[in-house]
Amino acid sequence: MPQDANAAPEEKPKPRAKAQPKNSSWPWFTTPQPIKRLFDKFPLETYGQNELPQRTAQHRDQHALYVFTTDNGARRGAPSFNPGCLKWQAYLKFRNFSFITISSNNHASPDGALPFLLPSASSSTFPDAPPSPVPSNRIQRWTRDTIAKRKGISNASGLSRQQSEHGAAPAESRTSKEEDIAPTDPSDMRYEAYMSLLDHWIRNAYLYSLYLSPPNFDSIAFPLYIAPSTTNTLVRITLSHQLRAAAETELLKQSARIEVVAIHQESDKAFAALSELLGDDEYFFGEKKPGLFDASVFAYTNLLLDEGLDWRDTRMADGLRGYRNLVAHQKRIRQTHFR
Amino acid sequence: MADPLDSGDDIFDKLQKGVDPKLQAEKDRVRNERDYAQFEKTQRRLSELIQDNSTLPATISSIRVLGAPNTRKSFLERIFNPILSANQDRPYTLAEAIREVSTGADKLHRLDIFHEPISLFIDRPPKTDPSATPTDIDFYLSVREKSRILIKTGTSAGNGEGEAYTNVLLRNIFGGAESLNVNASLGTRTRSAYQASFESPILSNPDLRWEIGGLASSTQKPWSSHEEVLKGGWTKLRWIAQGGGRHELGYNGVWRQITGLASNASPTLRNDAGDSVKSSIQHTWIKERRDNPMLPTRGYFNKSTLELAGWGPLQGDVAFGKAELEAQGAMPIPIPGIKGESGVSLTTGLRAGLLYPLPLGLESESKPSRINDRFGLGGPTDVRGFRLSGLGPHDGSDAVGGDVYAAGSANLLFPIPRVALDKPFRFQAFLTGGRLLALKKPEKRGTNSQNVRQALGSTIAELGNGLPSIAAGFGLIYAHPVARFELNFSLPIVQRRGEDARKGLQFGIGINMM
Repeated sequence: MPQDANAAPEEKPKPRAKAQPKNSSWPWFTTPQPIKRLFDKFPLETYGQNELPQRTAQHRDQHALYVFTTDNGARRGAPSFNPGCLKWQAYLKFRNFSFITISSNNHASPDGALPFLLPSASSSTFPDAPPSPVPSNRIQRWTRDTIAKRKGISNASGLSRQQSEHGAAPAESRTSKEEDIAPTDPSDMRYEAYMSLLDHWIRNAYLYSLYLSPPNFDSIAFPLYIAPSTTNTLVRITLSHQLRAAAETELLKQSARIEVVAIHQESDKAFAALSELLGDDEYFFGEKKPGLFDASVFAYTNLLLDEGLDWRDTRMADGLRGYRNLVAHQKRIRQTHFR
Repeated sequence: MADPLDSGDDIFDKLQKGVDPKLQAEKDRVRNERDYAQFEKTQRRLSELIQDNSTLPATISSIRVLGAPNTRKSFLERIFNPILSANQDRPYTLAEAIREVSTGADKLHRLDIFHEPISLFIDRPPKTDPSATPTDIDFYLSVREKSRILIKTGTSAGNGEGEAYTNVLLRNIFGGAESLNVNASLGTRTRSAYQASFESPILSNPDLRWEIGGLASSTQKPWSSHEEVLKGGWTKLRWIAQGGGRHELGYNGVWRQITGLASNASPTLRNDAGDSVKSSIQHTWIKERRDNPMLPTRGYFNKSTLELAGWGPLQGDVAFGKAELEAQGAMPIPIPGIKGESGVSLTTGLRAGLLYPLPLGLESESKPSRINDRFGLGGPTDVRGFRLSGLGPHDGSDAVGGDVYAAGSANLLFPIPRVALDKPFRFQAFLTGGRLLALKKPEKRGTNSQNVRQALGSTIAELGNGLPSIAAGFGLIYAHPVARFELNFSLPIVQRRGEDARKGLQFGIGINMM
C-alpha cells in the first residue's frame, strides 16, 4: 500500500484528464463565423435530459467510499473485509466525515485497486461533469483539502497546509502524527519504521494466511472476494487462480521463496513491536484520538479478530491475541466508530 | 473481317502507333457477338435435344463425382444416393433425371468447397455390361476442389480505428465440407480479438449447418469511458427455411468484464464495472429480398432477433429477454420524362428493440439491466448525424445505453450526373431520428413482474412524448461489394440534453445501414 502522506504535492486530477476522441476536432480547421452562426441555430429544439438507468449511482449528494463489502454491509456501513479499504474507511470515520460505503470491485477503481472515494456531486468543480474519483493514495490529502474548504479557508495547498491543520480544524489537528511532523523529525522516522512493519511483515503474513493458506482461502477469501463477482463456476475458478497468483507474486517480490514459518515469525515480531509502541495508551503515539496509524493497525487487527469471519488457519490471529493492548485497541475503535 | 495490317502500311509504323482503341473495341465487340451467338446456338441445340427426349424414360444407374479426392465418399453418397433410380420407386424421364442431378450439383456448389463451374456429363454404360438396362444413364460431375487452406493477413484503417488482422480458413477438414475459421486482430479500438469457429453441414445439407466457436476480445468503448473484455463461446444451428428466410438458433456463454475505466468515467459506469456472465439462447431470422444489399433500389429486408438470458436453468449473472426488429424497404421512383430506370430511389428503414428484465434463476425480483446488455443508438450506421451511441441516456459525457428504442430513417438516393447508373455511386438526402430510453423506475417498490410490466408500459409511452431526436443531411455513397461508405453533411434538428449530435461532416462505413 503506497503511503505518500507527505509526498510531494501531486497534480490535481483533471476533470477531463482523458481526452475523449469524440471531443477532438481538427485543430487546423476553424469554422468561419457565418457558418458557425448557422450551426449554432441547430438543434432547433432541445428537450430535457433522458432518465438514467436503474443501476446508476443513487446517492450522488453524499460522498461515497467504494470498498470490498457485502451489499448488506454496505447499507449498514459495516467495516470492510479488505485491510486496504478498512484503513481508509476507519480513517474517514475518525475524521468525522459522513459518507456512504458502496460494495464494489477493483475494476471500478481509477488506479486499479479499491478503495477510492467518489466525492458528492455538489463538490464537483464543474456542474455538468461528474466529480473525479479520489484514489486511496490521495484520500488523506483530499480529506485535508475538503476540511479546509469547509472551514472557508483557502486551500491553496502547500503554503496554507500548516494553517489549515492548526488554525482551521482544531478537532482534527494534532490527531495524526504524520501530518504535523516535519520530514526530518526523528519521530517521523520512527513512524515510518512502524508503518513499514505493517506494510511488510504484517501484510505478508496476512496475504499468506488469507490467500495461500488453503483452509482460509476456501472459508474466507472465496466467499468474500470470488463468489459475489459471478455465479459461474468456471469463471470463479479462473478468478480464484488469478487472486492466488497475485498474492504469490506479491510475496515473491520480497523474498525468493515463500517461507511460511519465517513469515509467521516476522508477523509475531511486528505485533510485539506494535504492542510495545502502544503500551498503556489508548491510541498510538500517545494521541487522544485515533489517526491514520491507528486506522492502519485496526485494518488488520479487526479482520483477524472478527468473529464473523471463519478463520480456519488461526496462526496469525493466535499470535495477535497474545498482545492484550492490541486487542483492546481494536475493541475500542470498533465500539467507538463501528457501532 | 478485314485485317487492318493488310492495308499496305509499314508494319513497324503500325506497331509503334499501337492498336487503335476504337478498332480494338470494335474487334472485341464483333468477337463477343460471334461467341455469344455460337453459345446461344449450342444451348438451343442442347435444350432442343433434351426437349425432344425429355419424356424418354431414363434410369440413373450411377453418378460419379470426378476430381474430389479429399471429399469423403459417404458425404457425397448422402447427396446423390437418394437420386439414384435404384432408390426411387418410379422411373425418371430424361428431363427429370437431369433436373435431379443438377439439384445435387447445386448442393455441391453451395457447400463452398468446389470451384465454379461444376460441369455435368451424361454417358450411356457400355452395352457389354450385362447388368445394364437399355434406359441406363451414367452421370459424371467434374469438380475442382478449392484449396483447403486460405490465409489472409492485412491492415485496415477507417472509422477512427486502425487494425491488423490474420485470418486462417481451413476448408473441407474431414472431407465433409467442415471448415475452421481462425481470426486474430489487433487494433486501436478493438485492442485485440481472437476468434475461432468450426462449422459443418449436417447430413450433407448445405442449408443446415452447425457451428461452434469461441472468442476472446478486448474493446475500447470511448463513448462510455471503458474497455470491455470478453471471453466466451457459442454453438448454433443455422438453416434456410422454405420461404428463403435464414434462421439461426444458438446458445451463448460469455464472461464479460468492464474494466479500464477512464479517469472521468461516470458513477453509472463505476457501478457497472466488474465481471458478469451471460448465458443465453438466441434466435435470429433474416429475410433478404433487396436487389442489392449495399445499394438497394427495390425490395425489402427484415430481421428479428430474440434473446433469453439467465432465465430458469440458463443461470449466469444477468437475466433478461431481449427483442429487436429491423426492416428496410426500397423502391425506385420514376421521374416523368426519363425512360426506364431513373436511378432515383427511396429507402426507408425502421428499427426497434426492447429489453425486459427477468428474475435470475428462481429469484422473484428481476435485476435491472447492465450497460453491456443495454442498447446503444446513434452513429453513421443507424441514426446518422449523431455520434456513436450519441442518443439516449448520458451520465456526464458517457453514453450509458437504454432498454427501449425505436429509430427510423428515410433516404432519397439520386444518381450522380455523368456517372453511369450501374456504378456504385449515389447522392443521398436523408432524415433520421430515434429515441433510446432507460426503463423507468416502477411506481411501486420492488421489481416483481407486475411492477416491471407497469414500468415498461410507461417507458414505451414515453417514446411518443415529444418529437424523437432527429437529424437531417445529405451526402455521397460508395457501395463497395463488401461494405458501404458514406460521407455526409448533417445537422441535428431535435435532440435531448446530453445527447451527442454531430454538426457537419460525418464519415461512415457499414455493412448493414439503416
